[in-house]
Amino acid sequence: MSGLLATVRIIWAIVKKDLLVMLRYPLNTFMMMVEPIMWLTPVYFLGRAFSSNSVARGFLATTGTGDFMTFVLLGTIAQSYISAAFWGMGMALRNDMTSGTLEANWLAPVSRLLLLFGKSVSSLVRTSLNLVVILALGNQLFGLEISAPFWKAGAYLLPMLIGLYGFGFAYAGLVLLLKDANVLTDVTNFLVSTLSGSSFPVKVLPTPLLMISLALPMTYGLDAIRSILLGIPPLVALGWESLILIIFALVFSLAGSYIFRRVDQHVRRTGTLSMY
Amino acid sequence: MSFMIEALSLHKEFPARKNGPSPGNGKNGDPRNDGGQRLFSPKARPQLVAVEDVSLTIQSGEIFGLLGPNGAGKSTTIRMLATLLEPSRGTARIAGFDVVRQPQAVRRRLGTVLGGERSTYWKLTGRENLEYFAALYQIPGGEARLRIQELLARLDLEAKANELVERYSSGMKQRLALARALLPRPPVLLLDEPTVGLDPQSARNLRQIIRELKEQGHTILLTTHYMEEADQLSDRIAIIDHGRVIALDTPRALKASLTQQEVCRLEAAGLPDPKPWASQIPGVQEVNCRFLTESQTWEVTLHLKDYRAAAPELLRLVTEQGGRVIQLSVKEPTLEDVFLSLTGKALRD
Ligand SMILES: Nc1ncnc2c1ncn2[C@@H]1O[C@H](COP(=O)(O)OP(=O)(O)OP(=O)(O)O)[C@@H](O)[C@H]1O
Ligand SMILES: [Mg+2]
Repeated sequence: MSGLLATVRIIWAIVKKDLLVMLRYPLNTFMMMVEPIMWLTPVYFLGRAFSSNSVARGFLATTGTGDFMTFVLLGTIAQSYISAAFWGMGMALRNDMTSGTLEANWLAPVSRLLLLFGKSVSSLVRTSLNLVVILALGNQLFGLEISAPFWKAGAYLLPMLIGLYGFGFAYAGLVLLLKDANVLTDVTNFLVSTLSGSSFPVKVLPTPLLMISLALPMTYGLDAIRSILLGIPPLVALGWESLILIIFALVFSLAGSYIFRRVDQHVRRTGTLSMY
Repeated sequence: MSFMIEALSLHKEFPARKNGPSPGNGKNGDPRNDGGQRLFSPKARPQLVAVEDVSLTIQSGEIFGLLGPNGAGKSTTIRMLATLLEPSRGTARIAGFDVVRQPQAVRRRLGTVLGGERSTYWKLTGRENLEYFAALYQIPGGEARLRIQELLARLDLEAKANELVERYSSGMKQRLALARALLPRPPVLLLDEPTVGLDPQSARNLRQIIRELKEQGHTILLTTHYMEEADQLSDRIAIIDHGRVIALDTPRALKASLTQQEVCRLEAAGLPDPKPWASQIPGVQEVNCRFLTESQTWEVTLHLKDYRAAAPELLRLVTEQGGRVIQLSVKEPTLEDVFLSLTGKALRD
């Protein structure tokens, strides 16, 4: 079998396995699918309350669009992909550690980074299924419609995801090391999802927080996506934003996989993996 | 001669756990390396020596048993051979490939069962589990289906192949773990306590399967703390305690090493205390006497060099004292006795 085909088969096997397991928890899966709608609902009505004739005037002045709901929805969608890339691998690793299946996986003659990558493809697939549900329900309940060049936004999402994979590998390494990385998850979650502006325009942040926000590459990714799909002015020129994202992708994917490999080696020495 | 499994002076130290349970019978590092000193020399942390200078050379087609009490270092040795742990010192090769430098080549030749029951996905069916692992081992689809069918049949899992593993019995889970290990048709099998937690019937079945695997040419290293199991299955056994191999030979030779010391049990009635005269019998090293009140007889246990030489004298003395022999027997030494004589303690607590 050629290398590429073999790789694809392995990834597919992992995705299939994860989807099968997901189907064996139907209630959880259902909740996971509808949950975003549950927290989007109050946001929607709040947005309505601040709008007249479906236009939120203050919001229009800040961001260049009065369509508050689509702004938030795009943020939510992008954020769910970001989370999948960022935490998907670490979480899946943690599951394998607690269930006892990790060693069986690691005994296979396959690169551990590939095994991790396969796990994250599963979470991307799950996220996409989730997205379909959000869009369908959003359309039914709130009459949401996005008619803009998705592929163009995707072009910005892609390097961002690659960079986030780097983070994801490093995070998976941390899970290996600490076994439980809840504190880290909370902190990074705050940084990544809150400060990068998935649910509000970062422009409104006070200066110290804005500085942090502008240091996060995700901020530019989210901004670029909204700028393209909503036709609003970006924080900095789109060319710069894409450059930032590409550099981010390169640096972090290399650094992240390096960190994971080092941790993996360390764990093989200290033997912490075989103790739960 | 080709060795399928080679371990040369394997050594494994773990950083001592800070607040975990105190290490059972492993040895602690230098106790002087306390916290204060650590500040200045971070390398001198207390270490727990789990495996010390273990050397094994196992030939193709052999079943080799690692026998030892809890915490002896059996699993640690297996984990090093399986590339999951890096040895602190020493080298190991599987089918000629170095476990540290050529881990992928080693993994391709190994089928490993570690922590059996929990090593498969309980929310998948047996078949789905095997399909998943077949893909990880890059076995092409059609071939994988054939092998899975064959393994399910052979390990008696066919009837429940399409049921979730969580509904399997312990024995079935253990057999599924073995099926997973056998998928890539590996020349070498590493089985860590394959029968632990199984009822006697399932354990017997599994031992039969292991014997068949040997006949098909697999080289097998298994660990156990059941001496009967090691005795029945293994061509050779290493007895391991505190991380060290303290004896290594065929089960027969290990037991024969004890026959310079035979254990003979005599039950006799109508005797005065036998201790004084029994100790006079030539070749006797130890005498234990016990009066059994229920039967009003004496039970005398003699440790002696040569039972045959001493028996006539023993019988003569009993008659001379006016006693009557009720029972006289020589105990076959077991591996338990071997372990006892080597370490001075029982294999199981
Ligand atoms: N990852 C680890 N970190 C620290 N100490 C460890 C680790 N793994 C094992 N040990 C210690 O090393 C020693 C040997 O353990 P090991 O698991 O190899 O024993 P074993 O012979 O398999 O015992 P059992 O019959 O209980 O399975 C024990 O003292 C154990 O506590
Ligand atoms: Mg063990």
